[in-house]
Amino acid sequence: MSVRGKVAIIGVGLIPFGELFHKGLESMIQEAFMSCVKSVDKGFDPKDIKAAWFGQWSGGGMIGQGSREGTTLGTVLGLRGIPISRLENGCPTGNDVFRNAVLGVASGAYDVVLALGAEKMRDKPGVESLVAAGGGAGGGILGLHPSWMMGMGGPVLQALYATRQMHELGCTMEDFARVAVKNHHNGVACPYAEYRFEVTVERVLSSPVVCWPLHLLDCCPQTDGAACAIVCRADLAKKYTDKPVYVLGSATGVDYKDMWDKENFIEMPATKFAAKMAMDMAGIKPEDVDLAEVHDCFTNTELLNIEDIGFCKKGEAHKLLKEGYWNREDGHKPINPSGGLKAHGHPIAATGLGQICENFWQLREQIEPVRQVKLKKGIALSHNVGGNGFGVSSVNIIGREP
Amino acid sequence: MTMWERERMQSPRPASPLFWRLNPTVYHLLGSKCSDCGHITYPQTKICHKCGSFNQKDHQLPKTGKVHTFCINWTPPPGLEPPTVNVIVDLDGGGRYVGLITEVANPEEVKIGTKVEMVLRRLLNDSGLDFYGYKFRLVEEA
Repeated sequence: MSVRGKVAIIGVGLIPFGELFHKGLESMIQEAFMSCVKSVDKGFDPKDIKAAWFGQWSGGGMIGQGSREGTTLGTVLGLRGIPISRLENGCPTGNDVFRNAVLGVASGAYDVVLALGAEKMRDKPGVESLVAAGGGAGGGILGLHPSWMMGMGGPVLQALYATRQMHELGCTMEDFARVAVKNHHNGVACPYAEYRFEVTVERVLSSPVVCWPLHLLDCCPQTDGAACAIVCRADLAKKYTDKPVYVLGSATGVDYKDMWDKENFIEMPATKFAAKMAMDMAGIKPEDVDLAEVHDCFTNTELLNIEDIGFCKKGEAHKLLKEGYWNREDGHKPINPSGGLKAHGHPIAATGLGQICENFWQLREQIEPVRQVKLKKGIALSHNVGGNGFGVSSVNIIGREP
Repeated sequence: MTMWERERMQSPRPASPLFWRLNPTVYHLLGSKCSDCGHITYPQTKICHKCGSFNQKDHQLPKTGKVHTFCINWTPPPGLEPPTVNVIVDLDGGGRYVGLITEVANPEEVKIGTKVEMVLRRLLNDSGLDFYGYKFRLVEEA
């Protein structure tokens, strides 16, 4: 089923990401939702929402903050009585929550639905969160591989790719660092970004080695945050706004779950699957996309993803980066004008929806002028990839025309 | 500590159903080879991870191979001494195994293509029980 032409975004809400110890999950959810409702140009009554999807990753076994059901949204947003499901699908949770909401409308089941993701990543100290998420020395035997989880963790997973990128594609640590330089530069101007400072290649390379070949400033932060979007039937959108943004394509792809099944470490097939399905659905090609928010949990990951989405050939992303091709101001295809996960932060379930907020504002040209990307075809793409072996990816493509 | 961990600590005879169940996997390195596409899956599977075929035969992994990719982790989880060298190994004759390097004085000795062999080592201690499994040791070039 294609969703193109059937679903529109009428409002989005985002809170500034950061280390938000003073805010609970519920208050973040409420803030994002209130700003979303207020963002609808011609006014919006939350009672119009007929179903909702709630993304939260840290409730699962990894961080174990306790499973939150749909009741969390139903209660704190006063939406009791409608169907609400909680969804967790690794790092693409945000973009996948959006996809489920879109399908809810495209199927004809509901006229107006809410997609919301929120995450408290900082309520556990870093060393016990993503790193221990790998199971730790005393950790579980997840995946039933006896030594898989021995000392694993986010940085290890990506460093195993980075080593191979250097070996096969000729990337250097300087190339990885340039991704951080670009994204932090973009993040400085973004009021929602967590780390708003410039970095240089030298500063990235002189930061502590977390997991060779990745340095501290190659890694995205663990962040608290919340983001949401309200989508509705395309033919009802003008009731809420004269400038709706339309959903063109939406897909999730899965590859092998585990690292040792992968055929190689210079591509992520999950991204290829999701990007191709979403673009086929939208009836567009990679060159039709004006700007993209691309998963950059680590600097090397962005380079892999740019290639896997199809924006350039395998092994070219780092060369084009050096030439400024992906820059926000003078680039041909700006990647992560929001600052990306690198500067914006990575509150898992909120990350993908935050990307959609950014794309919505960019396409409506209602963003700080310094950050505004030059639009050609009025099409933007958001992408996440994640999971234990980076085997799940979600892509959403939105545009100014239905 | 969870309630069941506490109970297990207090038990006079600690036991691990998980490791008992995984015995063929952990110690005998038993995986599966697809009769249709030849893909080697580890641990054992009834359905091929690559092509979905139901025709799987037992396949014991070899203990030698070459490093496919690696990283040097300076921030391992509690209980491991940094740096650890994590590797994914192309096993001789097919299949991959993921693990840690042991007995290497200088992590820089590990490269893509380095020959390694599995050795049985204590992997972890859980609630007073030692668990053993394989790590990789560098093979001296003749």
